[in-house]
Amino acid sequence: MNELQKRYPEDVAAILKKYPPEFRRSAIMPLLYLAQRQDGHVSGRSVTDIAELTGLSTTDVTSVVGFYTLFHAEAGGRYRIQVCTDLPCALRGADDFLALLQKELGISVGETTPDGMFTIEEVKCLAACHRAPMFQVQGDGDITYHEHQTVESAMQVLKGLRQQAQKSGKEAA
Amino acid sequence: MTMKMVTLRIDEHTVEVPAGTRVVDAAKKVGVDIPVFCYHPKLESVGMCRMCLVEIGRPVVDRASGKVVLEADGSPKIQMAPKLETACTTPVSDGMLVVTTSEKVAAARREVVEFILTSHPLDCPICDKGGECPLQNLTMAYGSGTSRFIFDEKMRSAKHVPLGELIYLDRERCIQCGRCVRFQHEVVDDPVLDFYQRGRALEIITRSEPGFDSVFSGNTTDICPVGALTTADFRFGARPWEMKPAASICAQCPVGCNIVYDVRREAKSSGKPVIKRVMPRQNESVNEVWICDKGRFVHHYNESAERLTQPLMRVDGELTPVSWQQALETAAAKLKEAGKGLVTLAGGRLSNEDLFNLRELTRAQGGTTLLHTHMGGGEWTRQLGLNQGSNLGSLGNGDAIVVIASDLHQEAPLWWLRVKQAAQRGATLIVLNARPTRLDAYAAHALRYQPGEAAQAVAGLMGNHKTPAAFQTAREALAGAANLVVFFGSDGLGLTGTRALAQTCADLLMQSGHYGRPNNGLVGVWQHSNDQGAWEMGYAPAADLVGSLKKAKVALLAAADPVGDEPALAKALAGADFVIVQEMFLTASAEKADLVLPVAAIPEREGSLTSGERRAQRFYPAVPAPDGVRPDYTIAAQLGQRLGLELEGRAAGLVFLRLAQSEPAFAGLSYQALSTAEEQWPIVGRRDLYFGGTTYDNNQGMGTHLQPVLKAGERPAAVAAALDTELMDAGDNLLVLPHTRLFDQGSLVRFSRLLVERVATAELRLNPATAKHFGLAEGVAASLNLNGADASVIVRMDDALPPGAAWLPRRVGVPLWAPAAAQVKVMERD
Repeated sequence: MNELQKRYPEDVAAILKKYPPEFRRSAIMPLLYLAQRQDGHVSGRSVTDIAELTGLSTTDVTSVVGFYTLFHAEAGGRYRIQVCTDLPCALRGADDFLALLQKELGISVGETTPDGMFTIEEVKCLAACHRAPMFQVQGDGDITYHEHQTVESAMQVLKGLRQQAQKSGKEAA
Repeated sequence: MTMKMVTLRIDEHTVEVPAGTRVVDAAKKVGVDIPVFCYHPKLESVGMCRMCLVEIGRPVVDRASGKVVLEADGSPKIQMAPKLETACTTPVSDGMLVVTTSEKVAAARREVVEFILTSHPLDCPICDKGGECPLQNLTMAYGSGTSRFIFDEKMRSAKHVPLGELIYLDRERCIQCGRCVRFQHEVVDDPVLDFYQRGRALEIITRSEPGFDSVFSGNTTDICPVGALTTADFRFGARPWEMKPAASICAQCPVGCNIVYDVRREAKSSGKPVIKRVMPRQNESVNEVWICDKGRFVHHYNESAERLTQPLMRVDGELTPVSWQQALETAAAKLKEAGKGLVTLAGGRLSNEDLFNLRELTRAQGGTTLLHTHMGGGEWTRQLGLNQGSNLGSLGNGDAIVVIASDLHQEAPLWWLRVKQAAQRGATLIVLNARPTRLDAYAAHALRYQPGEAAQAVAGLMGNHKTPAAFQTAREALAGAANLVVFFGSDGLGLTGTRALAQTCADLLMQSGHYGRPNNGLVGVWQHSNDQGAWEMGYAPAADLVGSLKKAKVALLAAADPVGDEPALAKALAGADFVIVQEMFLTASAEKADLVLPVAAIPEREGSLTSGERRAQRFYPAVPAPDGVRPDYTIAAQLGQRLGLELEGRAAGLVFLRLAQSEPAFAGLSYQALSTAEEQWPIVGRRDLYFGGTTYDNNQGMGTHLQPVLKAGERPAAVAAALDTELMDAGDNLLVLPHTRLFDQGSLVRFSRLLVERVATAELRLNPATAKHFGLAEGVAASLNLNGADASVIVRMDDALPPGAAWLPRRVGVPLWAPAAAQVKVMERD
């Protein structure tokens, strides 16, 4: 049974409707995005489900997950702090920024803070070289850019995110 | 249709090639080797590795007049491009100038090699590829010798990653050319390898179950330009330069793939030469540069300790070793005694020479020759089969292929590949089967028929039988075909059903005149490598084998194991006065025999096989035969000698000459003719393994088609009257249909322990509705009473199968050769 389809019947139908049957493989990106809506990552089960829906092999679906830094195969924190360290960013101090940020949060790249809030990731070009150091935050179904950053300003952003999470937690309760 | 030709200059050469040719190929044709890693002539070019960078100039055209601008000396003015271009993605154009020898090009190659090596471990001394490695060779030829890269920043990755149990990946060695990924996607359509992550973290992954689930997986190790992909079979087995290649033919199915046995002497085997690996040998008319995993990995049987190495004779009820002299004299005396009561039952793995000598020997006594097979119809493939000039690789737009009652992917993987590719080139493919198969995906018309009604389906295709409207559309598609090849198999059919099917297919070909000329005719998807050869020499299966064996005074079984195949045959054979078995192993039939003669395996001797496409091909000795075994043709000749019959037994080539004199289909053929090789494209092997992979070049012969028996327009001698139909309705019982799986429990597969996980087991597959009707559920163990024997099977549900019948593989320990009615009951759990 296709669990993804069971959980989001309307969304899956809406996505598949956009593509003619012979180009069904094009639906893989929106389906992956849908699959990580709930848990913040694409589970192995979802990969199998998407392979079935698009007629691709599980290997090919996994490959797409691996290629894009916005798709995640592993569970992480609620917010993923994605720092670009490509050459132009590095020239503007992104490496140092990342090192200090890790120190400040007490975790390394790929790790999650004990409270499950933040995961630090190193990513490829985010097209904001001239405003480095910079990072983007992926979480709560949203992506936001934060440019011209210092560790101090970054910690302020994270503080804001913590508050936001607490607020939404209270609202839900 | 004439191809537009383009003339260009490559260094000092002038070359004319068809428009659309890539620069790298055009250069190859005039002997200019442009180094490549990611490019392979059988794959789409992607320009990923940048190794093929060259300088390219094009004639300057005056915009106003549209004319080529000339230099003072009258030659066209050439404008060199400002940057280097990849020769593997750039198509040739008229007047182009390609420079591959400049310092600019040399620098580019040097730097690309340096870049590639930044992440490569350079562990050549322990690498299987060392000695035949494109990266090693191109580094030596074009690399700088030193690196400016910081050694400590080298990538470290996993070095022994099993991609399934057959293929290992070394992630450090991978240079990310993607040849394996493209091969799996484009060529064989098993998209089970792909890239994961990117940049320096990029790696090859598989997520299939089982891992790297493809029957063509071994080919990726041939085209891998580094030692990243290796087979579990050959890994750490030998260095390439220690091995000697021996040309051979794969005998695992009727395709007849050209292969090489790589052999070396080993201390482990007391200095005897042993087969270390099987590699493809190029034959663009048969297997191109590929082989399937069965052909690559099923080679361990010949070195098994279970091999018979001396004749055995029943003395006081026990099989006892005797001398060859005693064995042959006893056998000859028995054959003489038997006279017309001699029945020779031969298997399709015997060579042309074996079959010929056995036939002569049997005929001289007045005995009967029979072919041991579950499949009929060879009288038609003999008359209407393919002939000289045929090449599935040349079928395309305007041609048609019909595949009926066969799962080619499992029965003859290379035919599946070649038929798929013909369909992709534009040939109209019509696939008919009672159940879905993997070829359906490429078919213009994938048609279904009721189990057992294959012949009726072909009749329907001709408009002679009432069939659904889809058949009408397919018939129209077939009508205008320039060439037509029909493959028929035994999926869900037995002897009677296949015979009727072959005849109907023959009618179809004769009605439309598609025979007696190249690329037209009938091909039987036989079980064995030389079934076609046996048919050519007049061997045919008995309509009632039980009855024939019952009547035998002396039964001579060569490469046939009726006792192991079916209890009824075992019973029938028990009545014979004397049973002689020629075998490599102590089969069930050999155990019951009165005399067992040990024979040489294919890699241990010379001979030839006739493929299902009627191509006779030679195989050569690769390793010495164990002491005490003899080739089947020699045994027959030595028996003949004792019976006053002069048969050739000295050399296979001499037997073949006699065969050529005796059989019109072989007329004019000789070992010399079979061992001629032509220049083929793409050029592989030789010193540039980076171009086509480690596939061997073909120097030892590409074989020759047999002579046509019927020329175009000639009618066959006789057409049999109405044919019996096969069991199609089992009443209250379950109708069980046989089909063939690539890795079955056949006698040779079991010696390759590597394949144990892929071998088919006794799984009964059926539609859930049918299962429910018989009270069966997924995964339960059930008992089948079938052909007089009880067998236990595991039940598997399969929505894709039509209701009303169940499918069970052949050769999985259950005697099932034709559709059968089975009583089925669920077994009690312990």
